Amino acid sequence: MTTQLLPAQPAALGHAILAAALMLPGLVHAETPPEHASISVKLLSYEESQSSIDRIRVRAPSVSLIAPVAGVWSVAASLTADDVSGASPRYHTAVSGASRMSDDRKAGDASVTRYFQRGSLTVGAAYSTEHDYDSRALSVTGTMSSEDKNTTWSLGVGGSDDAINPVNFIVRDESRQTVNFLAGVTQVLGPNDLAQLTVTHNRGHGYFSDPYKAFDNRPRQRNQSTLMGRWNHHYAATGGTSRLSYRYYTDTYGIRAHTFGGEYVQPAGQGWIITPSARLYSQRAARFYFDPVYDGVLGEPFRPGYASNPDGLSSADQRLSGFGAVTLGIKVAKQLSRDWIVDVKLEAYQQRGSWRLFDKGSPGLEPLRAHSIQLGLTRQW
Amino acid sequence: MDVQAFPFEAMASRCELRLAIAPGVDGARLAQAAIDEVLRIESTYSRYRTGGIVNRINHAAGRDPVVCDDETNALLDYARVLHASSGGLFDITSGVLRRAWDFRRPVLPAQAALDALLPLVGWQHVEREHGAIRLSKAGMEIDFGGFGKEYAADRAAALLAASGVRHGYVNLGGDLRIIGPRPDGASWEIGVQDPRDTERLAGAIPIASGALATSGDYERFIDIAGKRYCHVLDPRSGMPVSHWRSVSVLGPLAIAAGSCSTIAMLMQEDGLAFLDNSGMAYLAIDLQGQCFRKDV
Repeated sequence: MTTQLLPAQPAALGHAILAAALMLPGLVHAETPPEHASISVKLLSYEESQSSIDRIRVRAPSVSLIAPVAGVWSVAASLTADDVSGASPRYHTAVSGASRMSDDRKAGDASVTRYFQRGSLTVGAAYSTEHDYDSRALSVTGTMSSEDKNTTWSLGVGGSDDAINPVNFIVRDESRQTVNFLAGVTQVLGPNDLAQLTVTHNRGHGYFSDPYKAFDNRPRQRNQSTLMGRWNHHYAATGGTSRLSYRYYTDTYGIRAHTFGGEYVQPAGQGWIITPSARLYSQRAARFYFDPVYDGVLGEPFRPGYASNPDGLSSADQRLSGFGAVTLGIKVAKQLSRDWIVDVKLEAYQQRGSWRLFDKGSPGLEPLRAHSIQLGLTRQW
Repeated sequence: MDVQAFPFEAMASRCELRLAIAPGVDGARLAQAAIDEVLRIESTYSRYRTGGIVNRINHAAGRDPVVCDDETNALLDYARVLHASSGGLFDITSGVLRRAWDFRRPVLPAQAALDALLPLVGWQHVEREHGAIRLSKAGMEIDFGGFGKEYAADRAAALLAASGVRHGYVNLGGDLRIIGPRPDGASWEIGVQDPRDTERLAGAIPIASGALATSGDYERFIDIAGKRYCHVLDPRSGMPVSHWRSVSVLGPLAIAAGSCSTIAMLMQEDGLAFLDNSGMAYLAIDLQGQCFRKDV
C-alpha cells in the first residue's frame, strides 16, 4: 500500500522549512554577537477621538532586535503586545451609543537574511494573535545590485493566511488569504541624492467585512496596487536630509488614494536629531460605501434601498469614505552615548470629508482626530 | 581566551561543546546548563520514556486526544510543514516501520510485516484540534527523532549565546550549530565524514556562523548480499532509500539544515533539485561516490 502523495513544489520549499523553523521556541532568541547587534524598546500610545468621545486607546510596547551574524547571515526578530480599549466601531459617526470594547494582541516576527557579494535574500515569518483573529505570514525578498552598486533591484513575494472568529458569532471560522508581490529599484543619483521606485500588488480573497458592523458586506475579493516614489536629498551645507515621497494607491473596491509625504532630518549637534514631518492624504470612497442617509422605512442603520436588496454590498466604515487627511509630526532623538539612543515622536492626525483634494469628499461625517506619542530606547553594541 | 572542549553522551550519540570562555568565567557551569537542556529535550521527547508526552500520545492512539504543551505543539506544527514540504516523504508517523526493521541482524523484513505496518503510517491520520493531538488509528506512533537532535543543538547554542558565549559550537553526533567564530574571528574547520570510511573525511568546511547537519546511509544499516539497507525509510513502501550515501547541508539553523538533508535523502534522485532550490549550501555524495556541492 502507498499513501497519497501531496504535490511537491521544490522551489522555495527550503524557505518554507526555514520559516517554519523560525517559529519554534528558543532557537534564534539569542543569536546575537553583541558587537554588531542592536535592541530597541518602543512604547506607543495612540488615542482617537471624535466630537469629544474618546474612541480608541492603544498602548503598545514592542521590542525589536537585529543582529548581523558574522557578516554572512543576519537574524532579526521583534515582539509586540497591544492593549486596545475603547468604543467599538459604529455605523456612522453621528450615531451614538457605542459599547465598550477591549482586546489584546500579541505579534511576533522573525527573519533571516543571507548576504551575498551583490545581493541578499531574506526569509521572514510573522504571526499575530488576538482573541478573534489569527494571522500567519511568510515572505521571501531578494535584492541584487549592479556592478558599481549604484542600482539595486528588489523582488519579493509573500503570503498570509488569516483566521477570523468574531466574538459575536456573525461568522464562524472565516478566513482570508493574501498573496503579495513587490518589485523595486533604488538608484544612487550622485553623492547627495537617492531615488527609489516601488510597485506592490496584493491579491486577496476571503472575508473582508467588519464583523462588528451590522450590514457591513464587502466583496470577498480585494486586489490592491501601489506605486511609490521616494527621493532623499542630503544638504551638505546644513548636514540635513530631506525625504520626499509620493504614493498612488488603487484597489478593486474603487478606492483611489494619493499620499504626499515629507520629512526633514536635521542633526543639531551634541547628539540631537530633530525630524519634523508632514503627510497629506486624499482618497475616493469605495464603490459600496454609503453616506449617512438611511432607509426611509427601516431607518438607521439601514442604507437606502436595503429592504428591496438586503444582500447588496454596503459599508458605513469611515475608512472607506472619501476624505482628505493631514498628519503633522515631530521626532526628537538624542544620542546619549556611543551605545544609547533615546527618542520621542509626537504625531497629530485629522481626517475630514471636505479635505479631499481632487473632488468632493463624503458628506455628513464628523472629523476624526488622533494623536500618538512614541517613546523609544535603543541600545546598540 | 582558551578553547575548551566538553564531551558528553546524549541521544545515542557522541556529543561535544567547544567553547571559548573569557578568563574568570566558569565555563563548566555554562556547559552544564547547555548539556542539561540537551538532556531535557532527550528525556521529554523520548518515545521510550513512560509518562513522557510522546509516549502518552502513542499510548492513546486510536483512543483519546492528548493535550500538548506549547513546545510540543510548536514541534508538531513544524512536523506538519515538513510533511507538506516534502510531498509526504518526511513523516513523523513512519517510526512504526522499525517494528519490522532490525538493523542489528542482516535479515530483510517479510513483505507481510511491512504491509501490516504501512496503514499505520500517515500524517493525514493525525488529528489536531485546540492544542490536543489524537492518532486516529490504534498502533500508530509519532516520534521526533527526525529533528530532535538538531532542535536540541539549536536550543543549546541559543542558551549559551544568551549566557554571553560568543565563540564556539554545539556538536550533537555530527549535527552542529555554531555559536560564533573562533576568538580571533576565523572560521571553525568542520570535517564531513567519509560515508564509506569512518577513519577518513570526505571534506572540511570552514564555518563561522550557522549550522551544519548530515544525513547518511552509514549511521545504521545492514548489508545483505552486497546491498546496503539503511535506516532512512520511504514511508510509502517501508523500504530504505538508496540514492545518496550522505547529504550535508549548511544553513542558518541546525533544525532547518537537518530537515533539508533528510528530505534530500528521501527524495532520492530528485533530492538534488530540492537542495538547489533550498537556498542553503550542501555537499551530497551519491551511491557511486560522486560529489555534488554548492557554496552560497
